[in-house]
Amino acid sequence: MSISEITSTAVQSIKRPVGRSRAIGTLTLLLGAFTTLIFGLGANAASKSNITFNPTNLIGVIPPHVGDLSVPSKASCLLLGLCIVAIGLEILLRRPVKGLMVRFGGSAVLFVVGLLIWTVRTPGPAPFGSINMTAVLVGSSPLVMVLVFGALSGVMCERAGVVNIAIEGQFIGGAFFGSMIASTTHNFILAALMGALIGALLGLLLSFLALRYLSDQIIVGVVIVTMLASLSSYLNVQVLSPYPQYNTGDLAPKLAIPLLAKIPILGPVFFNQNGFFYLMIILVGVISFALFKTRYGLHVRAVGEHPKAAETVGIDVIKIRYFNVVVGGAIAGIGGVAFVASYGQFQPGCTSGLGYIALAALIFGKWRPSGAVVASIIFGVSVYLANNLQTYNVPVRSAILQTFPYLITIGVVAGLIGRVRAPAADGQPYKRD
Amino acid sequence: MSNRTKASLWARYTSKSPVFVTVFSVVLGLVVGALVIIVTSPVILHSWSQIFASWGGIFHALKVTLDNVGAAYRSIFTGSIVDPPQFWHSLTTGKDWTAALTPISETLTYTAPLLIASIGVGIAFQAGMFNIGANGQAVMGGIVGTAAGSMLHLPTAVHVPLTLLAGILGGVIAGIIPGLLKAFTGAHEVIITLMLNYVIAFFLIYTLLSTALQQPGQQNDVSRYLDPTAQLSPLFGAHSGLRVNWGIIIAGLVVAFAWWFLERSTLGFDFRVTGANPKTAQASGINAKVVIVLVFLISGGLAGLAGVVQVSSTTHFLDGGFLVGSAGIGFTAITVSLLGRNNPIGIIWGSLLFAALNVGGRVMQASTSIPLDLATIIQSVIVLFVATPVLVKEIFRLRVEHAEAVQLSVKGWS
Repeated sequence: MSISEITSTAVQSIKRPVGRSRAIGTLTLLLGAFTTLIFGLGANAASKSNITFNPTNLIGVIPPHVGDLSVPSKASCLLLGLCIVAIGLEILLRRPVKGLMVRFGGSAVLFVVGLLIWTVRTPGPAPFGSINMTAVLVGSSPLVMVLVFGALSGVMCERAGVVNIAIEGQFIGGAFFGSMIASTTHNFILAALMGALIGALLGLLLSFLALRYLSDQIIVGVVIVTMLASLSSYLNVQVLSPYPQYNTGDLAPKLAIPLLAKIPILGPVFFNQNGFFYLMIILVGVISFALFKTRYGLHVRAVGEHPKAAETVGIDVIKIRYFNVVVGGAIAGIGGVAFVASYGQFQPGCTSGLGYIALAALIFGKWRPSGAVVASIIFGVSVYLANNLQTYNVPVRSAILQTFPYLITIGVVAGLIGRVRAPAADGQPYKRD
Repeated sequence: MSNRTKASLWARYTSKSPVFVTVFSVVLGLVVGALVIIVTSPVILHSWSQIFASWGGIFHALKVTLDNVGAAYRSIFTGSIVDPPQFWHSLTTGKDWTAALTPISETLTYTAPLLIASIGVGIAFQAGMFNIGANGQAVMGGIVGTAAGSMLHLPTAVHVPLTLLAGILGGVIAGIIPGLLKAFTGAHEVIITLMLNYVIAFFLIYTLLSTALQQPGQQNDVSRYLDPTAQLSPLFGAHSGLRVNWGIIIAGLVVAFAWWFLERSTLGFDFRVTGANPKTAQASGINAKVVIVLVFLISGGLAGLAGVVQVSSTTHFLDGGFLVGSAGIGFTAITVSLLGRNNPIGIIWGSLLFAALNVGGRVMQASTSIPLDLATIIQSVIVLFVATPVLVKEIFRLRVEHAEAVQLSVKGWS
């Protein structure tokens, strides 16, 4: 690192937080103004919005009935908008260095709630006069789950210094072969194992080419995605279409946890899911613990930050990278199975770029499992709303709403919203001297 | 590895020449493609299950395998380059030239936008930057170009250049965003361009459904048609029946420009120095920020030109499937550029090969019912090997150089 680089980094690290809090504060203020003016003043004073919490399409365990919440649309949107404005002003005036992302995330949630309240106002344009919060959360939970699997895969690989841009490819591979196994054996444990195997093999391919032959990890990743996309489309025509018994589209059974599943709102969202959902929660805990509380995790992070130093103290850099990329691939492969287990039949292109949103969630979540979960929730819910808001006659095009995760990620990477730092050796090939 | 003799072919075979690695990668790609055909073809699998049923069963199985794989690859060849009997017929009788030349004409038609986009990606690679967003930039070029080509009404001499310029403008708009963000915030261009691809894909849907670009009276995501005055006309006239058009001439000009730019111009030299060693570039007074922005401006502009050439020469309108999936020339362009080692002449061969695979793949799909996706599978295997030259050398026992990474932008995120 040359002198000028060091100084420029130093200057940036001094200058950045101030500009950043100003940018976020302004953005939050705009969000608040939008909520107040468009949603608040745009609603009829007599309108009311119903928020319901009772799941509509549940089979089996049904939590006790909860009363609907009926709020005046105009007043609540104004209130929410002013809350966001207050947060924005607080950021602009106090210039906090920490907790910026939390404040911004909170305002985003308030904004979405305001949008929903405004959307279902009656009398208003919406065909249904109510929004079912539980249904929104339950509906987006499979998306969130798949994103978390993908982001965890990314955490495993990138913490060890290998860029895994092939998450989408591992999703496709896991979804295709997992759906085949699930259709023939009706056993989702076997399907998950198959998905893990395919994902691990793809991870092995990536790590073999990247670690042994020092190929560009991004190129190999992109090519793996292209290869799996075309291979699955090819096999779909050649195998799945003539033999529909290999693609029955069975859904994984919901495993309700006794008692907990009966809690209103939380029950259907967290405790009445399929096995993949619980596996995802366990994996988040295990990976967080392994990465930040164990000797293994220390080694992984050392390898991802400064492989040469890690090698000097006797850590086998290549071995750790192989292990992490293969395990990461397996996790993404299971994510693919989880996708078909929650949505049914495999179709070419069914994962529709979720792997890249998972990559975005990983970055937004600052390469941490917990951050990845928060980012996946934000992105998953926004994608779900984008796909479903049309039913409520929202005058926002779903195409516009769907760009949300990508725009946020661009903002994050460019340092406009928060600042993230990848592991220092992420994506760099390592060669022993 | 050490038994080099003076035989010139052998010497070249074992040399460091990247051409051989590329040729062998193509061979490996075709082998993997053949394996994919074999394991998914019921006829072939059945014949192999019968090898112990009778004497000569194994020969029968081999024959069935060769016949089926041969038929697939033959149709790729005859569908994209030339069908020898047809060509011989035209040569001897002087008739039916349209049928004889259609395959190569189709390949050249497909080559034009692919070549232009690949040159754009290649220039970025030469400067050490990975423009993974060529597809989005091409879509943007298509959108702006279609707007100019369908909503303005001008004489051909003005309208065609204006449409092309509009396409370039669209690509520049989409390309300059990652350029500026990388230059001034240090954001990694791969993430930005990757995400922008999706943003632009949704923007395309939005423009097709909710703006004046939508075909009047349509509910679907279909754009207005380009005026005939804004279309690139066939090279040999409409009556020839050959679709090859002025797009390929434009592509040739782009190649000439790229060669001149990279080899002869000062700015191109700055680009290559930046790509080879950013520290040297900085030390020799090259303004890194300016280079980054210009790289993405040029790369995006070329991608946009590719998009508008695709519309103006082939589709004449936009729909929701524009450059989606296997039609995504911006993604194929990345692989073509790698195949051609980022230099303009190499990219010509690469784009001809990949265009031929795509065009021939369609003929194969029609005549043998093997899906077109096989072409994409072969392409990705080829690139996987091209990106890993040492592996290819090991497989073919070429002289192994010390394992060096491909000279590309192997850099981290931050």
